[in-house]
Amino acid sequence: MTDNKTIYATYDDDMVLLAGAKELVSNGVYIRDVFSPFPIHGLDPVIGIKQTRLAICAFIYGLIGLTLALCGMYYFMIVDWPMNIGGKPNDFFYQNIPAFVPISFEFTVLLAAHGMALTYFIRNWTLPGVKPRNPYPYTTDDKFVMEIHPSDSGITVDELTEKLKTTGSILIEER
Amino acid sequence: MHQEAAIREPLILGEKTYGEITDDVMASVVGKASKSWWIAFGISAVMALWGVGCILYLLGTGVGTWGLNKTVGWAWDITNFVWWVGIGHAGTLISAVLLLFRQKWRMAINRSAEAMTIFAVMMAAVWPGIHMGRIWLAYFVFPLPNQFGSLWVNFNSPLLWDVFAISTYFSVSLVFWYIGLIPDFATIRDKVTQAVPKKVYSLLSFGWTGNAKAWNRFEEISLVLAGLATPLVFSVHSIVSMDFATSVIPGWHTTIFPPYFVSGAVFSGFAMVQTLLIIMRKVMHLENYITRKHIEYMNIVIIVTGSIVGVAYLTELFISWYSGVEYEAYAFINRATGPYWWAYWAMMTCNVISPQVFWFKKLRTNIMFTFFMSIVVNIGMWFERFVIIVTSLHRDYLPSSWTMFHPTFVDIGCFIGTIGIFFVLFLLFARFFPVLPLNELKTILKSSGEQYKTKVEEH
Amino acid sequence: MSNNKKYWKGVEELKETQSFQQSSNKEFNEYLPAADFLGEENLLADSKTSRRDFLKYLGFGVTAASLAACETPVNKVIPYVVKTDKINPGVANYFASNYSDGYDFCDIVVKTREGRPIKIEGNKKSLFTKGGINARVNSSVLSLYDEKRYRAPQIAGEEVSWSKFDGEVKKELEAAISKGGKIRILTNTITSPSTLKLVSDFKAAYPDADIQHITYDAVSFSGMLEANMASFGKANLPSYDLTKAKSIVSIGADFMNDFPSSIQLTNQYAKGRNPEKGWMSKHFQFESSLSLSGSNADVRIPIKPSEQGKIAIDLYNYITGKGGSASAKVKKAGDHLLANKGASIVLAGANDKNIQLVVNAINQELNNYGKTLDINNPNFLKKGMDAKVAALVKEMNDGSVDALLVSDVDPVYSMPKSMNFEAAMAKVKTTVAFASRPTATSQKAKYIAAANHYLEAWNDANPQAGHYSLAQPTINPLFDTRQMQDCLMNWMGSSESYYEYIRKNWEATAFKMQSKSVFFDDFWNNCLHEGFFAGKQAPAVSDDSSEESEASVNGTASVASAIAAIGKAKTGDWELEFYSKVGIGDGKQAHNPWLQELPDPISKMTWDNYLAMNPGDAKELGFATEYGEQKNADTVNLTVNGVVYENVPVIAQPGQVKGTLSVALGYGQAIGKQNEIIGFNFYPAQNAGETYSSSVSFEATGNDYQVATTQTHQTVMGRTSVVRETNFDTYKNSDKDAYNPAHILATHDGPMNVNDVDLWAKHPVASAGHHWGMSIDLNSCIGCGSCVTSCNSENNVPVVGKDEVRRSREMHWMRIDRYFSSAEESVEESERSYGKMENPEDNPMVVHQPMMCQHCNHAPCETVCPVAATTHSNEGINQMTYNRCIGTRYCANNCPYKVRRFNWFSYQNLDKFADLNPSQDDLGRMVLNPDVTVRARGVMEKCSLCVQRIQTGKLDAKKEGRPVQDGDIQTACASACPTNAITFGDLNDKSSEVLAATQSNRAYRVIEEVGTQANVYYQVKVRNTETNIA
Repeated sequence: MTDNKTIYATYDDDMVLLAGAKELVSNGVYIRDVFSPFPIHGLDPVIGIKQTRLAICAFIYGLIGLTLALCGMYYFMIVDWPMNIGGKPNDFFYQNIPAFVPISFEFTVLLAAHGMALTYFIRNWTLPGVKPRNPYPYTTDDKFVMEIHPSDSGITVDELTEKLKTTGSILIEER
Repeated sequence: MHQEAAIREPLILGEKTYGEITDDVMASVVGKASKSWWIAFGISAVMALWGVGCILYLLGTGVGTWGLNKTVGWAWDITNFVWWVGIGHAGTLISAVLLLFRQKWRMAINRSAEAMTIFAVMMAAVWPGIHMGRIWLAYFVFPLPNQFGSLWVNFNSPLLWDVFAISTYFSVSLVFWYIGLIPDFATIRDKVTQAVPKKVYSLLSFGWTGNAKAWNRFEEISLVLAGLATPLVFSVHSIVSMDFATSVIPGWHTTIFPPYFVSGAVFSGFAMVQTLLIIMRKVMHLENYITRKHIEYMNIVIIVTGSIVGVAYLTELFISWYSGVEYEAYAFINRATGPYWWAYWAMMTCNVISPQVFWFKKLRTNIMFTFFMSIVVNIGMWFERFVIIVTSLHRDYLPSSWTMFHPTFVDIGCFIGTIGIFFVLFLLFARFFPVLPLNELKTILKSSGEQYKTKVEEH
Repeated sequence: MSNNKKYWKGVEELKETQSFQQSSNKEFNEYLPAADFLGEENLLADSKTSRRDFLKYLGFGVTAASLAACETPVNKVIPYVVKTDKINPGVANYFASNYSDGYDFCDIVVKTREGRPIKIEGNKKSLFTKGGINARVNSSVLSLYDEKRYRAPQIAGEEVSWSKFDGEVKKELEAAISKGGKIRILTNTITSPSTLKLVSDFKAAYPDADIQHITYDAVSFSGMLEANMASFGKANLPSYDLTKAKSIVSIGADFMNDFPSSIQLTNQYAKGRNPEKGWMSKHFQFESSLSLSGSNADVRIPIKPSEQGKIAIDLYNYITGKGGSASAKVKKAGDHLLANKGASIVLAGANDKNIQLVVNAINQELNNYGKTLDINNPNFLKKGMDAKVAALVKEMNDGSVDALLVSDVDPVYSMPKSMNFEAAMAKVKTTVAFASRPTATSQKAKYIAAANHYLEAWNDANPQAGHYSLAQPTINPLFDTRQMQDCLMNWMGSSESYYEYIRKNWEATAFKMQSKSVFFDDFWNNCLHEGFFAGKQAPAVSDDSSEESEASVNGTASVASAIAAIGKAKTGDWELEFYSKVGIGDGKQAHNPWLQELPDPISKMTWDNYLAMNPGDAKELGFATEYGEQKNADTVNLTVNGVVYENVPVIAQPGQVKGTLSVALGYGQAIGKQNEIIGFNFYPAQNAGETYSSSVSFEATGNDYQVATTQTHQTVMGRTSVVRETNFDTYKNSDKDAYNPAHILATHDGPMNVNDVDLWAKHPVASAGHHWGMSIDLNSCIGCGSCVTSCNSENNVPVVGKDEVRRSREMHWMRIDRYFSSAEESVEESERSYGKMENPEDNPMVVHQPMMCQHCNHAPCETVCPVAATTHSNEGINQMTYNRCIGTRYCANNCPYKVRRFNWFSYQNLDKFADLNPSQDDLGRMVLNPDVTVRARGVMEKCSLCVQRIQTGKLDAKKEGRPVQDGDIQTACASACPTNAITFGDLNDKSSEVLAATQSNRAYRVIEEVGTQANVYYQVKVRNTETNIA
């Protein structure tokens, strides 16, 4: 007999929360999420959050940028409308490479950065006009909040509240 | 948690808690603007308007309203362009490079340094724009399909490289800056009570929640963007320097330019950061966050880059003689002894000689002196660009075309204008944006905060 | 206080009569029908329009009408209703003609487009000027479209119809004639035989009147004429042949610019300066102010103007072996002359009978007559006799002259103050001025006969014995104007036109001289097509020896007295020489902005004349010696022969002899729409016949004056890869490396010629099809600036005015760099000081280097343009795409030759240029070449190698189904060069002249070591001097 309630436990110090989290997890409590005004180092493995793969996306976007840049310049300068500019060769790609280096690089960075940023916004769902979902406004200031669904770890609210009390939470609220 | 050696000086002074940090930073946002802010804003607004006026006159009448002539086709316009871009570099350098090196002291200053970068790059972008004879056709520089058929741009031109470099640099640093701002906007959003600001900040904060996964991504993207921005910083000014290095004009055609320009840029950039922060920490009472230590660190960067620049100057001189090229040799003798000798020696004193006084700890930790020096350095760096551009052009290969350059009031007005606009923007930033990165500062509070350090010592 | 007076409308009101009482309270005194109309209620009811409506409609009507009135102006293009068979839109027509204004003479070809003359070039077929032309002549097309031209005849400032005008003038003339009064016709030197005949006919028409024709040259050579009268019994100038002259000695004669038939002389001079021939002439110049000729001399000997006579005497004595006190320099010249007896020539510029007599004697002594000079086939380009002119003025002052007809001269402006022509003119009852635009004289004349521009008129000319050339109109008179000859004929009551008159005259004379054509029409059309007729010439050396001897006897007889006379030459501690500039000449075309903006070949000043002074003197007196945008000239108050000039700018001019000064004539006229006075008029200060004045004084004013120079740096700073020169011996006796060494680079595979070092392979198209190139011979180039004005008119180069030139923003595509030698350049290279090298020598050697876009095959400008607005054509031309240019000016910065020009403003629209730029008024716009874009503001421009001409040439060849021949296509500069210094052609054409030139030993490219691979080559300058200067 479990009920799907949500417990929010507030701490006023990141270290206390971290210690508490460790303890809870060791007692087999599953912590849904933690809201904090700044990243708490060492928390992610404890509550089982995997390392993000954003970096890989960035790499891919970068590759796309590089290819686009090179193909573009190849088409513009050599295929579509070759011109005699300062007697520089315009008939082979490799002869032109040196002149293409700077823009290829810049374009790679451009796409990598912006692609990554977009992905970041979308995955986080942080976009203009999105409503914030943090339980209390103070989580962005100086308080730290744990979100636990008792049902996840199959224990009752009271048991959980007991456990939380021992971790030095300053406020435990159920919704 | 990461503990820091006690000998390192604290980066956050006073008995601060997380909450107090928020309040300190938010003081300016929620509170009324101080008198000094209004005065500063007024002055810069006037300068900005004067500049806009000059620019409109310029665009209406023609580039001839500047003092340029058949021989000197670039003077103050590109000088100012390079100067502003250079200033821009410090911000990215601080936030990106120092982040990669895990320099915690960056955290107090990187937010405003990045803001400075963005505004400086905006000002820089003004110049290539208005220096064009036909700005209304500026879109020609983009490889756009057009009604003229196969008409593309010239990818051999360093000026085109600039277009890509500057636009990339600007947009990337903007994104980097904004991503860092979002959590702090969220903080303000949740803290302010008035309705309108709440609306505005909740819009700006993109609905930031601050849950663990978001923070995880946040740290990742900061790191990667830093990784991307670092080579970008170096590439941008290298490319700017190629405008000159790839040309055939004696005094421009120099392979030493890329590194020399980059270090010059960092040099001037840090100087400008000093100028701004020394004022800001006073006006906005941030002495506890932007400490003497920060100032000293930046002075050390200044002396290092300043010395690099100095070495570059001397190398140029030596090579011009060693190369045995008569035009090259003359170009540099002309710089030092020709009609523009005063500009050259102004550059030398401001950039090479004066920063050396920072070897003395007393001076390098003296706020007022640092402020004075930061101004001197910026003047010096402006002259460096002037010397490179004008004194190389005004006497090149054919003596028949040798001329002098004399600025007109429009030249001067436009320059003053950009300075005005720059300060207007920065003052608005200081007023309405979190000038310190809250989330980052809070992470180092325990490792580098004063009271915690003292605690550590007691145990 | 309130007004207590009472005013009444009339006596009724005062009297308060009853009728007044009634009428006063009626609005309308008389009966109005309105009442009974309004009385009819129903009528009123069903009338649709109330007064309110009426006002509405009225208002609407007025508004509509006024709106309709202001519509945007419509520019109409009017097609040919019936297309003429000769004029094809887009195709140019060329007409042979000639230019003869009494100062210059030139056989020309006029290019017209859609019936508008737009370009003037030398007539290549002419046997007289040999296709040569000068700046003044090829700019003269602009004066056709002068806003200020007279548009109709005027009587006392009133525009009237010709019939009225003729009536009035005839009346006055007849009045004068009937009482046997004096009628005087004052003209410039008239070379036209028909006109001269006409004038004599005019005299003959009125036998009982005293009619005289007086010729007046503002810049007079009457001294020469008198001397020849004395020596040879004919008041003529000899014709010259410098091609044969191995030794040329000029005593103050600027025969390349300010001399009869200077165009012909420069052409001949250049032929003698080609070292490839194995010999080249040696040119000695004795002079005080650095003239164009002096700047090209091999040996330039500084003298004071007053010493000219002495030099002549010394030379005479030395040559005749009479000893005397000849200086070493004179002896050197004398030796060289003696060594080249019969192949030498001595010229003198002094307008002084005695000096010219001595010079004649010298030339006779060297028996140059019949070889380099020819008096039997004289040259008729100068006929003015100072004595006659003086006599005329005297007559006028006596008030004995009844009518004065002035044509093509401006005595009020150009006569000495002492003669006070203006006052004299006031004493003449009837004054008629033939003028095409207002002049000082025409404004004083009662009758102004609005004359044609020469391009609207018929005429003929006989510049030299045996050479007859025709001038034909190339456009209908733009305004209601008539040429002088037609007026005279009309007043004589003749019914025919001057055209018919010329035909008759030619039928009677020239036609008879030849036997080729049988019918006159055939002959006439042929001459008209060629532009001239070459008649027979008398034998240069007359077989009748008696005349020879008699002449020489005359010579020697008069020489003694001449020498005696010369002894009393006026000297002073300052001697001021009067000269005329290449651009403005005698001032006839001072209103021509092209010529005003043409830099002086020596000082590179524009838009001004000034007091030239030796730099040493200037320094001593504390005058500024360097000029630029912010470096102004100091001014003096100058007094010459009692005439005072205030705030005359002083220019330090290297080559100006210490203790001497010089000023240019022809300035001080009101030009431009604002009638701005440019420079100072020094004619009044000139005593009749004087070429210099010794009564000169000046004091510094402390004011300064903005001068506009196109070159602010004078020396070449010892940069031997910019200008290369050597002397004749070195050139003859040693190999290329001695005077034209190749640039060798040290590469990792050994030393290589800079042209072989390349990052990448030659561009595939470089050797296919055409590859246009140019070669400029620094030896033939005398720096006359003819190419510059020619380029301006061909390529619609805007006039920017003094202020912009002062800011180094002149737009000339073609410029001539002038370098003075510096003493420091002879110092060993390692010991040289750059500072010292900036100062020119006191008596410098001069190099003139035409400089325009070098059309580099590895063009630095092309690489840097972000939008590919400047690229390389497959024919080797560096081309500008104006409408693609966004104006970053990066190309101009990166151009090592600094030949690119930027449109700083909209020269077509901006008010600043409205005053001077011809393309700002509808009339001036007609001179624009429709084949060349008028560049917009913010666009870069530069020499295009006259790509429009190349296209035309290729099309013509295509139409005729043949390959382009070498010489088919000439750039504007090449075709305008009187010395053929510029060769243009196809470098891929193995047989082309230009290819040969580029392969010669003298060929080099400016700053070749930069690796720009230019398509423009230069030929090393070879001086005929002893000491080597390389």
